[in-house]
Amino acid sequence: MKGKFKNYDFFLLFIVFFLIGWSVLNIYSATVHEYSNLYIKQGLYGLVSVFILLLFPLINYRKVVHFAPFIYVLGVVMLLSVFLFGVTILGAKRWISLGFFTIQPSEFMKYVVILITAYILGVRKEKVDLKTAIIVLLIVSVPFVLTLKQPDLGTALTILIPVVFMLFAGGISHRYIVAGITAVILSSPFIWEHMKDYQKERILAFIDPQADPFKSAYHLIQSKIAIGSGGITGKGFMHGTQSKLFFLPEQHTDFIFATIGEEWGFVFSSIILTIYLIVGLRMLYWSNKIRDDEGKYILIGTASLIVLQAFINIAMTVGMAPVVGITLPFLSYGGSSMVAFSLMVATALSVIRVYREEKLHF
Amino acid sequence: MKSGRLRIIALLFLIGYLILFSRLFYLQVLKGDFYRKLSEKNHIRIMVVNPPRGKIYDRNGILLAYDEPSFQIYTYPYMVKKRLKLLKDRLKEILGIEIKDDIYERLKKGYANKVILKKRLTQEQIKKFINHWQDFEGLFLEVQPRRVYTEYARYMPHLLGYVGYPSKNELNKNPMLTPDMLIGKSGVEKIFDRYLRGSYGMRAVVVDAKGRIVKTLWEKQPRRGSDIYLTIDARVQKIVYEAFKQSGQKSGAVVVVNPKDYSIIALLSYPIYDIQKFADGLSVKEWKALLKNRYKPLFNKALDGLYPPGSIFKITVALAALQEGVVAPYQKIFSGAEFKIGKWVYRNWDPRGCGYVDVMGALEVSCDTYFYQIGVKLGSERISYYARMFGLGEKLNPQIEKRVSRIPDPEWKAEFIGEPWYLGDTVNYSIGQGFLAITPFDSTKILVPVLNGGYLLKPRLLKAYYDMSKMRFITVKTEVIRKLNLKRFYFRVIKKGLYDVVYGKNGTAKLLSTLPVKNAGKTGTAQVFRHKKRKEKIEKWYLQNHAWFVDFVPYRKPEYLISVFVEHGIGGARTAVPITKSIIQKMYGEGLIR
Repeated sequence: MKGKFKNYDFFLLFIVFFLIGWSVLNIYSATVHEYSNLYIKQGLYGLVSVFILLLFPLINYRKVVHFAPFIYVLGVVMLLSVFLFGVTILGAKRWISLGFFTIQPSEFMKYVVILITAYILGVRKEKVDLKTAIIVLLIVSVPFVLTLKQPDLGTALTILIPVVFMLFAGGISHRYIVAGITAVILSSPFIWEHMKDYQKERILAFIDPQADPFKSAYHLIQSKIAIGSGGITGKGFMHGTQSKLFFLPEQHTDFIFATIGEEWGFVFSSIILTIYLIVGLRMLYWSNKIRDDEGKYILIGTASLIVLQAFINIAMTVGMAPVVGITLPFLSYGGSSMVAFSLMVATALSVIRVYREEKLHF
Repeated sequence: MKSGRLRIIALLFLIGYLILFSRLFYLQVLKGDFYRKLSEKNHIRIMVVNPPRGKIYDRNGILLAYDEPSFQIYTYPYMVKKRLKLLKDRLKEILGIEIKDDIYERLKKGYANKVILKKRLTQEQIKKFINHWQDFEGLFLEVQPRRVYTEYARYMPHLLGYVGYPSKNELNKNPMLTPDMLIGKSGVEKIFDRYLRGSYGMRAVVVDAKGRIVKTLWEKQPRRGSDIYLTIDARVQKIVYEAFKQSGQKSGAVVVVNPKDYSIIALLSYPIYDIQKFADGLSVKEWKALLKNRYKPLFNKALDGLYPPGSIFKITVALAALQEGVVAPYQKIFSGAEFKIGKWVYRNWDPRGCGYVDVMGALEVSCDTYFYQIGVKLGSERISYYARMFGLGEKLNPQIEKRVSRIPDPEWKAEFIGEPWYLGDTVNYSIGQGFLAITPFDSTKILVPVLNGGYLLKPRLLKAYYDMSKMRFITVKTEVIRKLNLKRFYFRVIKKGLYDVVYGKNGTAKLLSTLPVKNAGKTGTAQVFRHKKRKEKIEKWYLQNHAWFVDFVPYRKPEYLISVFVEHGIGGARTAVPITKSIIQKMYGEGLIR
């Protein structure tokens, strides 16, 4: 038992612990003024996450991957159940209610998709060929479409991101990559046609915020002002005025970075940004060392998801990307997101632990 | 797997990082001061503009309820936190407004959530507030719709119901609600809330550091609620109320319906309360007084009270007996002063007995011993079957009815009383006593199909509503629930019997025979407390018998079915009949009945 803990990547573990603690602190600041006890809830989710991060890596990730098809089916069933018994919040059906709390299956689906992709790619030891890629994409398209239908464009995209990176790392031919990008560009007018009005508005608002500054671009401008006004050292904990005048629910979920930027300034917001880069690079570093394909893919998938989701979210808050509803990993309010990301990191930690252990034995 | 590709991924991460890093550097370090100033100067605030609710009219277009603008003062805690004490004093000194403790607490603890300090300012207060605006920095004046009830609406507080702010639960369930939007909480306001409510508008404004509105950026107009026309006749409602009040009785209910389409013409629960005061908010003292009042003004007796119907239920029993062939229309049965089952004796209310009577005669004098006999022959199950056939024990319109009658049968008794059904229970049942209990509204169900030729209709309160999308009024049609398969001749027999109640030699409602318009009906006296001796006098109000009278007028082509219930009113003939008389008299006087 003790020997197993020794092989954890403590650097990664503590960085994530730091993010969780930081999350509770900022949600306290973002919501407590409105008599909200969300920070207590977030604290509980944080506690659950800490346990997951400490104990889950003890399980050999190969066992988890072994069950990937089963977990995948379970995940799809959960997504389907959202349509049947889901709770509607702000016009979208994304949650299942379990009495005193709700869960958002699409958040967990990101993890499931990484597992199933690692499972498929891991079985085929060779370079990823077109056939394998198509199989993977077909399997992933089920949760992708289901999530898109909720409607939840942001989460649907983040389900796809790690898969694309895993296929790329698997060495799929350049030709297919170019073909894929071309296909997306060509089909974009078609996609545009099928987007909801509010989604179109957000994209238009992003392209030209001044044209319609107070409807769809409201978030963008407010959040930019909040972050910018934080300056170098910030207005101080609990002293952000801009983020508190949002009157919009997202200040503690998708726009938590605005609170951080405003209250803690450039010093801390750049540190947070750097932390995500470090987490990503650290996982890539391990994946380069490991010879086991399944483990490698899990690390690459997890790294690319965390880094890209974080970067897209931050880009959105600083006005560099259209507003899509995705969380800032570990920092945004929300139990499903935090627990799902903790499961991912815990699995990555398991990969690293097993690698270190086996290396010692050889 | 190629490790070269890992390097490409790492490079992509790094590029993303650098772009965002430089963006943060640009926003926070290079343009930090610019944005700081912007954040101090410009706050964009989204304000919700509440819509006026739809108007409520009676069937003839008499206005009952409408919205008028009302001014209120509000603030945001973060703006006034530091000088709360000062503001509190100034509000008291200049405007004479006291800030309550709970509002003071909210100001101390809150931040950006709006807090309303005082609603419904007087003209004088508005003037002073504007003149002394510099003393009230951080406080704002705004207009909100206020529900106003007209003079006619005062007679129907239970029917109209009241409006209030949505609860947390309601807010979670319905995204179209805002915390300070008035929604229907009971009565018509609640039942037809979907028409009356409308939808809120929004306004984005730029406010300066002191919270003053600098300019409006965009606006989405609120959509006002649709107007509705009720089936209620406000004049009849007023007459009904005044008749009840003048009778000096303490408590009861009156329901008036049109038997042809089952539209509700008047619905009174007595005593009433002041609906306007209720809408504007009562003081704790007033609220407590209402709760303590022994005659329960807050309770809607017409729809929610369950009482034994007494003899008015004999109509149902008579009809069942005719239809089932237990007794023929002109068949006379000897009905004495007593009816015996074994050692148990059931007496007639009139110790002289009724002699040989047919069903019409039995209705005329409300002969208990006649109904004991046919009731026992029918059996409790067949009585219940007919009661249910008429819609008793059922919500014919679940929007309006909240409670159903209690229709007892052996199964019911076994479950709730835990005793078997005795023959004596059937005897009591056949004169509307015992376990049977109905609401005053249900009493109309007994007669509506009899008067309209056997149709069970859905009771209705809505005559028409304004359809916003079609821009015109939509008239609501009567719905037929089912046609009752009963012989029409028996209806005529019953009606004749009820005619004799008023015009017969020994009728129990002879008082009504002097009215200028032909009418008919049935008295009912329901025992609340078992008398020890026949002539025992009961002093306590709450032990006295309930009084009923159901009447229809005019006799030939009934347009009104009037049911009067007097809680602990001693006797139908004694209290319910005089009230009915005064109602019909006044309606005739005003030309409502011809």
